[in-house]
Amino acid sequence: MGNAFFVVWRESLEAFLIAGILYAWLQGNDSSGKGKRALYIGLAAGVGLALLLGWALLTVQDELTGNALEAFQIGTLLVAAGLITQMVLWMRKNGRQMKARLHADLAAAAEKSGFFGVAVVAALAVAREGAETVIFLYGMSQEGDYSALIGGALAGFAAAGATAWLAAKSLARLNIALLLRLSSILLLVLASALFVAAIDRLIGAGWLTPMLDPVWDTSLLIDDTTKAGKLLADFSGYRARPALTTLLAWAGYWLLVVIGYRRTRP
Amino acid sequence: MKHTLHSVVFGLFLASTAAIADDMPTFRLLMKDGRILPETLEVPANTRFRLEVKNEGPGATEFESLELKKELVLAPGVTRTTVFAPMKPGTYKFFDDFHPETGQGRIVAK
Repeated sequence: MGNAFFVVWRESLEAFLIAGILYAWLQGNDSSGKGKRALYIGLAAGVGLALLLGWALLTVQDELTGNALEAFQIGTLLVAAGLITQMVLWMRKNGRQMKARLHADLAAAAEKSGFFGVAVVAALAVAREGAETVIFLYGMSQEGDYSALIGGALAGFAAAGATAWLAAKSLARLNIALLLRLSSILLLVLASALFVAAIDRLIGAGWLTPMLDPVWDTSLLIDDTTKAGKLLADFSGYRARPALTTLLAWAGYWLLVVIGYRRTRP
Repeated sequence: MKHTLHSVVFGLFLASTAAIADDMPTFRLLMKDGRILPETLEVPANTRFRLEVKNEGPGATEFESLELKKELVLAPGVTRTTVFAPMKPGTYKFFDDFHPETGQGRIVAK
């Protein structure tokens, strides 16, 4: 029961956080309601995708399909990281514009592509970790442990929702400028963690050379194999023993983000 | 762009078939009841090898190691294999991310 709670909480927190931050931002910047509709459609599509991906994970047995699935999962990590980053830059550019509604035509076009991005980001956030939750819950139902399944899983979902709701509420309480800055930073850190995970898995699959592995070992300081350390790794991209390739990719990501940020002054 | 994509996909395909064709050593790992058997797996250092992970259930498991950069989700009854690049001698930790309390193991490369 306790374990089911923790696993479901952790697996669904990312999706809830992304949804919560997007909701808070749309609340402050978009009064048309279209953005929120895009968000809901994306979340619903994500649940469907999670079930589909979960089913795929249930049926893979051989190495070739295993590799194809690995490639697909790495692909979703990269796309999610890229889209979140692009969306943050789009938000930064359009935040005040949309609020003021000065250039109606321009805003409408930007709105359309931006809201599509919101929907895709939400869908990917749910689908990625959702598929693992599907497998986990399926496993529990196989165990026949329904009270733990329902109690633990529901409590986990509820806690993840509450965590994200709290984050979104505290964000929404801030003034618009601070909300924009803080939610941007949160999303960018999350995107960098997804990017780091993708690079690591590319190395793990043998599709990318690690160059030097590890560059250093800080596991005495923060051990990423503990529960809390793993959480930090999942959400910030922290690695106790990073490979040089991963480190360079991480640095490259932030360099590009800083350049992109400078270019998209609101 | 399209051409590059094609060659990348083709390259991945070649790489994956090559991994199946040659006869590298295979090691087996059993995940059961939130436990990992054996908890310590000895492998030769500086050698490519294949790891076959079997989840006997009853619950789902996730073989994961940040150090080894691997993540395999296994529904009950599923067996998945993964190929490890040559490792330097040392101890590498892995765990069952769905049973972090009980499912801890390590690979020792000698």
